[in-house]
Amino acid sequence: MHLVIAKVNENLFDGEAKSVTVPGAAGEMTVLGGHEPLITTLRAGTIVVRQLADVEPLQIPISGGMLEVRHDGAIILL
Amino acid sequence: MAGLKQIKSQIRSYEKTQTVTKAMEAVSAAKMRKAQVTALAGRPYAKAAVSILARVSGMKELSQNFSNGSNTNALYVVITSDKGLAGALNSSVLRATLADINSLGLKRDAVSVIAIGKKANDFFSTRGFRVEAFHNNNDKITADMVEQIVREAMNRFSMGEVGTVKIAFQNFISTLEQKPALYTMLPLSLGELSKVVDGIAPSKGAFSEPSNELEVPNAYTVEPSDEAVLEALLPKLAAIFVYHALLESQASEHSARMVSMKSASDKAGEKEEELTLEYNKARQAAITREVSEIIGGMEAMAN
Repeated sequence: MHLVIAKVNENLFDGEAKSVTVPGAAGEMTVLGGHEPLITTLRAGTIVVRQLADVEPLQIPISGGMLEVRHDGAIILL
Repeated sequence: MAGLKQIKSQIRSYEKTQTVTKAMEAVSAAKMRKAQVTALAGRPYAKAAVSILARVSGMKELSQNFSNGSNTNALYVVITSDKGLAGALNSSVLRATLADINSLGLKRDAVSVIAIGKKANDFFSTRGFRVEAFHNNNDKITADMVEQIVREAMNRFSMGEVGTVKIAFQNFISTLEQKPALYTMLPLSLGELSKVVDGIAPSKGAFSEPSNELEVPNAYTVEPSDEAVLEALLPKLAAIFVYHALLESQASEHSARMVSMKSASDKAGEKEEELTLEYNKARQAAITREVSEIIGGMEAMAN
């Protein structure tokens, strides 16, 4: 799925990802491709992005934010 | 005879001015391109935030949630540049703001201002308006600065001190065209926000993009609740307003300065040519006079 992680003044991640794990309002959750459309607030914690290529998962600490999942991808606003 | 030396020194001073204005033009051109690239980089964020808002506000009346009723006090966030030499850039923003204040019939004590850029600060403080906060308008727009401005504005709004928060800035349309823009930031409306987001890409020029309709998706699951999402989203949306207004105003500043520096360089070049012509004429006249003096002297001796 196409994943974008953005702050208001910069994009932290923009590309294809296998899955992303976020600290959601209702607890930790992992989003894979084809997930139901969803909007949730995020708590402070760490976002873990697993990319398609066989590389170390990307870890991004956050202090809060918002996740929007659509049919074609996901966007995380910090 | 205007002294040859005097003309020569004038020519030299025009040459120097032209060097400076040309350099300033080049610097502004580079900065303008950078500001445009940055503006486009912030676009996905703005679009996503607007689409979340569109989804959440579908069932909630936004104006009811976040309106201060009959409070007519207004807070203006006015963005100008720190430096001048940019044509009518700042004065048109300031004039548009003042016109809005007058058209609403607001008294001076019903208006407060957050000034961004020295020019806005000077303008409003000398006219007796209450300037609540002042920020410099530097080249680098940091997330901290945006957050701080948003906090200042939102605090006053949520405490009920003001009924509306408006933001005024110079909107970048193309390199040769900028127009003052005035948007209502709070209470938040989807219409105003999508105007800002659509306006991020200029309608003309290298960075223009076709504007597409805002898609309003349905069938979302919302966690934990619409209200909680809206509450978390509100500062982010306000930040989009402030951030993009800052970017637009910087792109406008640099392009306005570029254009006015270009006309200054052209004018200096014109003046230089004129003076060179005058210098050559004066030089020619001096030579002719000397020759005729010599000939006159020779003839006098021959007699």
